[in-house]
Amino acid sequence: MPKLIIDDIPVEVAPGTSVLEAARSVGITIPHFCYHPALAIAAACRLCAVKLLDGPVKGIQMSCALPAQDGMVVSTTDPEALRMRQLVIEWLMINHPHDCPVCDEGGECLLQDFTIAGGHSRRRYQGKKRTFQNQYLGETIHHEMNRCIECYRCVRFYQDYAGGTDFGVTGSAGRVYFGRFQEGALESPFSGNLVDICPTGVFTDKTGRFRARYWDYQFAPSVCQHCSVGCNTAPQNFQRETIKIVGRRNDQVNGWFICDRARFDKGYLNDPQRPREARLDGATCGYDVAIDAAAKAIGKFVAQNGAESLAFVGSSRLSLEGMILLAQLARTVDGARLCYFTDGGELTGSAAAARLLNEKNSAYLRDIEKAECIALYALDLMEEGPMLALAVRKAFLAGAQIYLVDGDPIPAREKLPFTFTAVATLDEVPFEGGGRGVVIAGAGKKDADLLDQLASGGAKLVMLQPGPNAMAGGLLSLEFGGQAFSELASAGKIKGVVCFEADLPEGLIVDVEVVACADWRTGAAAAKAPVFLPTTTWVESDGTAINYEGRAQRFQRTRVPGLPLRGLDPKYYGSTADAVAEHPPRVHRKEVPGGAERDAWRVMAQLIERLGGRTIEEPLTGRWSKLKDLDPESEGVRVFNLLQGDPRTDS
Amino acid sequence: MTLPLFRHNRANRVVTFDEYREEGGFEGLKKAFTGMSPAEVQQTVIDSGLRGRGGAGFPTGRKWSFVPRDLPGPRWLICNCDEMEPGTYKDRVLLEHNPYSLIEGMTLACYALGVRHAFIFIRKGYEKAAANLAHGIEEAKKAGLLGEKILGTEHSIDLDLHLSAGRYICGEETALINALEGRRPNPRQKPPFPAVKGLWQGPTVVNNVETLANIPAIIANGSAWFKGLALNPEGAGSKLFCVSGSVKNRACVELPIGTTLEAVLDACGGMREGRKFKACIPGGASTQFLKPEHMKLPMDYDTVAKAGSRLGSGGVIVFDESHCLVEATLNLITFFARESCGWCTPCREGLPFVREILTRIENGRGEEDDIAILREHVKYLNYTFCALAPGAMAPLDGLLRDFEDEVREHIVKKRCPLK
Ligand SMILES: Cc1cc2nc3c(=O)[nH]c(=O)nc-3n(C[C@H](O)[C@H](O)[C@H](O)COP(=O)(O)O)c2cc1C
Ligand code: SF4
Ligand code: SF4
Ligand code: SF4
Ligand code: FES
Repeated sequence: MPKLIIDDIPVEVAPGTSVLEAARSVGITIPHFCYHPALAIAAACRLCAVKLLDGPVKGIQMSCALPAQDGMVVSTTDPEALRMRQLVIEWLMINHPHDCPVCDEGGECLLQDFTIAGGHSRRRYQGKKRTFQNQYLGETIHHEMNRCIECYRCVRFYQDYAGGTDFGVTGSAGRVYFGRFQEGALESPFSGNLVDICPTGVFTDKTGRFRARYWDYQFAPSVCQHCSVGCNTAPQNFQRETIKIVGRRNDQVNGWFICDRARFDKGYLNDPQRPREARLDGATCGYDVAIDAAAKAIGKFVAQNGAESLAFVGSSRLSLEGMILLAQLARTVDGARLCYFTDGGELTGSAAAARLLNEKNSAYLRDIEKAECIALYALDLMEEGPMLALAVRKAFLAGAQIYLVDGDPIPAREKLPFTFTAVATLDEVPFEGGGRGVVIAGAGKKDADLLDQLASGGAKLVMLQPGPNAMAGGLLSLEFGGQAFSELASAGKIKGVVCFEADLPEGLIVDVEVVACADWRTGAAAAKAPVFLPTTTWVESDGTAINYEGRAQRFQRTRVPGLPLRGLDPKYYGSTADAVAEHPPRVHRKEVPGGAERDAWRVMAQLIERLGGRTIEEPLTGRWSKLKDLDPESEGVRVFNLLQGDPRTDS
Repeated sequence: MTLPLFRHNRANRVVTFDEYREEGGFEGLKKAFTGMSPAEVQQTVIDSGLRGRGGAGFPTGRKWSFVPRDLPGPRWLICNCDEMEPGTYKDRVLLEHNPYSLIEGMTLACYALGVRHAFIFIRKGYEKAAANLAHGIEEAKKAGLLGEKILGTEHSIDLDLHLSAGRYICGEETALINALEGRRPNPRQKPPFPAVKGLWQGPTVVNNVETLANIPAIIANGSAWFKGLALNPEGAGSKLFCVSGSVKNRACVELPIGTTLEAVLDACGGMREGRKFKACIPGGASTQFLKPEHMKLPMDYDTVAKAGSRLGSGGVIVFDESHCLVEATLNLITFFARESCGWCTPCREGLPFVREILTRIENGRGEEDDIAILREHVKYLNYTFCALAPGAMAPLDGLLRDFEDEVREHIVKKRCPLK
């Protein structure tokens, strides 16, 4: 453990730690551009200069590329080091357009920060600035090459980290250029990370440019709800609209990055057509009126048809809280059926994962990255868990053997950012002694016994799930006897449904009465339901999700529910008075337009109460209560050990 | 005394394989392959005092000894024939007259280092040299002096010629390695040094053409012979000086190490008619100026370094009293700014800054502050990723050290005083 002194502070760090990181560990930020913890050291920008006053190395050194050693005496404030850093800024600003006011990076720009911090304010260079042509890089990323400071982060990410081949660096000397050989949309499904990783405004998010500055945003830690990996994100909202979604670091789940689906697929959150008002028989009504009506309709249905012909149906879009209360709601109506899945195959798969996985055999990010042998089994990795493809690539670059078990459906193999050997069956994968072997299985049909066998041989398992929170659905299905709705329906056992954020295909509910429906989007069930209750999405609610490896993560409400201000229907702010409007107008409105949505679990709690059950203020009780104070900024908690204790969920 | 490098040269053509052999060529190779162990070959090179002729003057035998002996997997030897340093053209002259010394020298180096496969990285423009090498490699193979089972022994060695697209930075050894691997020629972080982790992550020795071409004579005649060639006691061997500028006969000449600057110029016929020596750059564009007072300076690595410059590659550019050294420096800086690989900020952005200031000064638009800004660049361009930028600052450092008055005169008079 090297011991050194940085600015008079004694520091002890693990061998291999750079001086820059050692300084960071005691709260000293050494300015840097090219250094990024997730990327290989470039030592290109030369901004992180420090002076070594004593010890094995002396003089000006680049702290990012200098491993800490015993006896080093480092000064980050030495005049020579300071001057070097000032000069680096001056050099970089020689050709910079200084266009912060019209740059979408402004306010969250590392170059801006360090330029101000370094005190650079006077231009000494008298020549002309260099200019570049920008490129069209597709509909999601805007390119503005003149702002480039040549830190090579983008290309190190795009090519080295993510395995992309259509973007890189060309030219030399003062004309190095970061772009594509020809204009065109970036091909990598991870291209959006360029926005986060570029320390300046070369790459900005085209889908949200010029809407707000960093300090305008309302944002909070969240968890992506597009697949079961559960990458950590931070949706940035302004005026009730999710403008951008950026990656958030979690070393156990996604590292620093997210995929493009997580970042750019957000239109549905802002959709003005989203159902915002409670409805009763086609007409809008107060929320509580609708809940009363739903409770009444349930009671009536049960009285007429019996509880066993009623199903409470949810989906993996529900938070863990919603799923727990759905089970309690089903219990309140004694004998009613509980479904977290519509499709029988999905239920089988998720239940198998819930049964098979445990603290020991469930692989997470680091297990994949460190694996020596990886089998991709019955899955389309780029669809079902894109970020895990980058983890596999990391293992591959470190020398791991990758096998693709040729299954059905045939995975999109040409997109995988690593090379592999195709084999016909899982038996052919040589997991020698099981040591550091990982099987990544998809949500589709698979041989659970075989996986079980491999796990007992020492291999670790990833069982990707059919939806963001499907793992919770699997766990709760085991506990509460959840059934697959499609199977119940086609067996003719179901006459009525109450749906919570469930996507029921029209064909399944032709002969089924939709008693009530709660959702944040419309679908076949919502169209049929006499009572409709609008719910919040994951950006507008607090909740917990359990990812493929059994890790519970808390997401926070990142903004208030309601219609986006942009394009707001004038009916929400126009004068309603018949007479000529007074000026200035005085129309008092206390509610956020379209802001009536409630969290699904709260709606369930209210229904339970109306149906004679208890008052519920906290959904995470019993064995789940340990998740109550889960910190959204933490790495999350794996639930296997929690679930071993008290099997009862408080009811 | 016969010097090792140009002894086989013919006036206007390349020496033939038979001529080279008749004059003692491949005797060193025979001696080593039939009677010396690889360690003995290496020790002879260490004892000879041979220093790298590529510019840095690093002791060659010492560099070889850094290659870990016991590492499994292949190791590599690369001959650096990128030669793009302004004023330097010795490797071209050597190879256009005689490719065999290099081929024999590389085979010996491979033998000493345990290398199976070596590369010659040659710049694109050197077509004649490349053709000579290609031809020479074939002949050596046919004669059993290269390729499978050399001279019937168990040793097999292959030489490959790689024609590079050619940039100055490709001469920097780690950038060269990247280029050879098919990557962008950006230098690599050192350590690890190529001797430990180089080409395809294997141990790699990179040597200059002239360095390697010296090996056959060293092995054939022994280390003491080689050391004795030098005129000064610390020196060893001979050196190719390629002289350009204000001398009568611009030429590449082979002279003993330790020859005085004056004698080097005399070997080129002395100064041109009516010209008076003002200064010279002794070792390629990235060295400081030498002045009239250095005429008696023995041209050897340590002595030139003590005089505040470097023997470098031996590319001597001679300036006379009619030359403006601001303009000369600007010319060199323009080259360096263009040849920066673009990896690190001080070089990529600092060199154009220096170029802009020198352009203004030369054109009579210099300002008093400019000298201080230039000095700052001389100092801080040392902190770059590779040695290109520090090298580029050497002539500027010399200009400000020895000719500050001339620079100031430009600024004060608002014009170039020599035009
Ligand atoms: C920018 C730059 C350019 C260089 N160009 C050459 C070159 O053209 N030829 C060469 O032999 N060495 C060149 N070198 C030196 C090489 O990096 C290396 O030190 C040399 O090839 C070692 O050979 P030697 O030990 O035989 O001198 C260059 C170095 C730098 C920094
Ligand atoms: S990249 Fe940063 S410094 Fe440059 S214009 Fe944008 S905000 Fe300003
Ligand atoms: S585009 Fe951005 S990330 Fe890429 S080199 Fe330029 S400043 Fe760095
Ligand atoms: S000093 Fe930097 S920019 Fe210049 S050639 Fe070396 S690595 Fe490239
Ligand atoms: S951060 Fe160290 S050189 Fe760029």
